[in-house]
Amino acid sequence: MHILMMILYAAIAATVLSAIDPRSDTTPQRLRHGLKMFGAFLGIGLLLSWVLYPIPW
Amino acid sequence: MQSRDDLSDDLAAHFRAHVAAEPELKPYPMPRRALAVIAAWLVPGAGHLILGKRGRAVLFFVAIVGAFALGLALHGRLFWPAPPDSKDALIPFDLISVLWFFSQIGAGLCYLVPYVGGWGTNPQPWAATYEYGNAFMFLAGLLNYLVVHDAFDIGAGRKR
Repeated sequence: MHILMMILYAAIAATVLSAIDPRSDTTPQRLRHGLKMFGAFLGIGLLLSWVLYPIPW
Repeated sequence: MQSRDDLSDDLAAHFRAHVAAEPELKPYPMPRRALAVIAAWLVPGAGHLILGKRGRAVLFFVAIVGAFALGLALHGRLFWPAPPDSKDALIPFDLISVLWFFSQIGAGLCYLVPYVGGWGTNPQPWAATYEYGNAFMFLAGLLNYLVVHDAFDIGAGRKR
């Protein structure tokens, strides 16, 4: 459930943020940027979860 | 290694083919620009539709309205600035509730319609998906603030 929510959240955020990115003028550029951002959101989210897991709070 | 003249010729050819071929950016008339910004706040994507960016308008509408509706469906709560816990508080509001409210009201009618209809106004923190729901509604509102700014920039002729 949690991972599904994270994927959905990252997909929505990456879609909108890539569409308003001023550095991308064309659809392929926006698509590439959006995919990179989506991957970064997921990757950083998973990495942080592994790093924070041992901390007891 | 290219000579300076060859490099200049290459750059000139690139400029003619790519930069000069694109139409110059021009600001939209003020009433249309203002209407686009207000509409963009009220209905996600409507501002871009007014400015003729249909594809992006549909994308923003689906993503932002979808995120907000998903948040409501996951038992998220619509926040309203609450009174402070203490009577001696300097500010007449509970600040965190003001922040949550600010995040959600960014989605415009997505917030106002359910609020008037009474959907999401009864908090259900015991629901397993309560926090997920809130997170999606905050996301929708905050993304729509960026979309409003984007509509403003397009209207002002700063981007395509």
